[in-house]
Amino acid sequence: MKKFSVLLLTAATLLSMTLAGCGNENNAPAANQGEKKDKVKIRIAYWNKEDSVKTLLDLVKEKLPNIELEYQFIDNKQYQNIIETQLTAGAGPDIISTNPYTASRYAKLGYIKDISELADRYNDGGKNVYSVDGKLYAIPGISWFEGMFYNKEIFEKLNLKVPTTFEEELALHETLKQNGIKPQAMGAKSWEPMMKSSMGLVMNNFLSKAENKDFDVQYGEGKTKLDGNWNTALEQWTELIKRGYLTEDMLGVDYDQALDEFATGKAAMWQSGPWAVEAIQTKNPNLKFDMFPFYGSEPGAGWLIGGPGVGFAANSKSKHQEEIMQILDLISTPEGQQAFWSDNKGGSSYLKDVEFEMPEQFTSVSETLKAGNVYAPWNNWGDTSNVIEDYGKNFQYVLSGKMTISEALQAIDKKTNELIQGKAQ
Amino acid sequence: MNTKMRLLKRELDYQILILPVLIFYLLFCVYPFFSTFYYSFTDYSNMKLDNLKFVGFDNFKGIFDSDLLTISIKNSIIYAILMTVFQTSLGLILAVFLDRKLKTKNILRSMFFLPAVFSPLIIGYLWSYIMSTSDFGLINRAVTALGFAKINFLGNPDLALYSVVGTQLWQWTGWAMVIFLANLQSIPKDLYEAAEIDGANSWGKFWRVTLPLMQPSVNVVSVTAIIGGLKVFDIIFALTEGGPGNSTQTIMTAYIKTVFTEGFYAKGAAFGVVFFIAVMIITMVMMSFLKKWGEQTR
Repeated sequence: MKKFSVLLLTAATLLSMTLAGCGNENNAPAANQGEKKDKVKIRIAYWNKEDSVKTLLDLVKEKLPNIELEYQFIDNKQYQNIIETQLTAGAGPDIISTNPYTASRYAKLGYIKDISELADRYNDGGKNVYSVDGKLYAIPGISWFEGMFYNKEIFEKLNLKVPTTFEEELALHETLKQNGIKPQAMGAKSWEPMMKSSMGLVMNNFLSKAENKDFDVQYGEGKTKLDGNWNTALEQWTELIKRGYLTEDMLGVDYDQALDEFATGKAAMWQSGPWAVEAIQTKNPNLKFDMFPFYGSEPGAGWLIGGPGVGFAANSKSKHQEEIMQILDLISTPEGQQAFWSDNKGGSSYLKDVEFEMPEQFTSVSETLKAGNVYAPWNNWGDTSNVIEDYGKNFQYVLSGKMTISEALQAIDKKTNELIQGKAQ
Repeated sequence: MNTKMRLLKRELDYQILILPVLIFYLLFCVYPFFSTFYYSFTDYSNMKLDNLKFVGFDNFKGIFDSDLLTISIKNSIIYAILMTVFQTSLGLILAVFLDRKLKTKNILRSMFFLPAVFSPLIIGYLWSYIMSTSDFGLINRAVTALGFAKINFLGNPDLALYSVVGTQLWQWTGWAMVIFLANLQSIPKDLYEAAEIDGANSWGKFWRVTLPLMQPSVNVVSVTAIIGGLKVFDIIFALTEGGPGNSTQTIMTAYIKTVFTEGFYAKGAAFGVVFFIAVMIITMVMMSFLKKWGEQTR
């Protein structure tokens, strides 16, 4: 029995030592808290690296000395998963980065706070996607957009001009192909590029028409279907596949490999967004490139696929609501937007009357941006916006010739219906 | 009784040491395991834990209606069977070959085993470059240099699953080989001598002596291969992300999509339960088959 007590004692000591070890770490800062005892610690979680908001974090540090802002990076692949687990447990970061889909989810579940007091400062385009029942739940960050990057040198050499219609875009592809240059690179191994490419034409030829203004909202509610509505536009888009500009090969190529092809001049065009500029320039500092938008049958400003980027929301369970609002308030000023933008050059701000000078890589999309033609259909699909992954995957089947447009759209409609039914249960 | 008590008390001294592990095990393995069963009968979705309603077998009924789940079950079964058959047979062939007196045998053994050391994610990203159809694809560069058309390993919906199997075999055959080698070296030499005296050729020696005595390692390799094959996730995630389309979705990738992307927690739990039962049955059938084989050869 004596031995037992000794063992127990050892175990207890060991345990207390480990616990003390943890405690020490926490206690350490407490020792020198003298000077900053008023500082409130606010945690913000985001799926982009700290570099992408560094200037903004510095601004917070400078303007709000009462707050110690702790930045937490969580990889995009696990982000939603980790945050949701924390929120379920009544914890989570004080400021939560969301996308339109998760913002609406969290708002309905009461995890994030109504911040409508900031709503007046933003344009409708930005705040609509972060509003539920007319109340604002997250402030829209700098927008993201995706269009077609093109290699200016190749274009000049072949005397090619930026297209103004989809037909001209097809002709452009043909000239490049005839001259032995791969018209466009695409990392279709991911479900995203095909999804965006096809929706580009739909936005031009279908969604931008006045009579289809509410189509996306209705789709999200299950009141209408893609099949029967999007077919004409998409059939036209498949010319890219039929004429061999988008090929099955691309399904074996990923984002980085496609970026390589464009950056090294092996392909003349590549569909992506401002976030890729730095990587392209690192690969090939001499490359001269610009971007044009997606075009439709009629000449016009074209459309870029995109929308409000990250939304910052306030955790309703946080004990520091006042400080959270101070930070959100600061971001919602021209100065805050400028700081945010300087690490995300290319996007635009949704804060009223704030405009930035675009970098030279986006000269050919300036008209499109001015017209406000930046849109992502699924942002208005509500709870079912997740179905875009299935949309992209079915379009991979279209590219490999396993599905027709109509079959793909039917499969997507079926999945949307499944999601709506499931959520309603 | 008295001695038993004393024995128990003496044991208790040592058993207290497993307490921390036991607590973690109960908390993070046993509890989630049973709670999954519980949630699979509720309407748990969208993270709301209050006001859960019991819905009986509703979640289970939905499983086989979903295209994603049916295709993933089919893919997982194909994957597991191919992995089990090829990993076991190729591993065995390699082991027998490298059990001979070769000068390069140690180098060859380490070369074949090396891939098993790396994380499947690394292997996945590496092979996605090797098999790529872009100009960076090593294999396709060789193929086109020889005048053939490019092979779309990961982008062809009919081929992608087999390309993943190929990659996994490249990674894990060496591991199977090591297990078999250990077993081979424990076979007494005099058995072979006896067989030679009885007039057996090398094929006969393999069939009558080696194979029957390899039964324990064949058990280990094939059972781990089938379980590993059924629950494969990381390599798929790195190589194809389930695509193109849904052509390489497996039970695990579909499970994660259902739960975390779509937010159907209860349906996911039901799927997990079905998967658990299926793996249990398959493993039990296989074990009993292998046991019978073992008894026959003894």
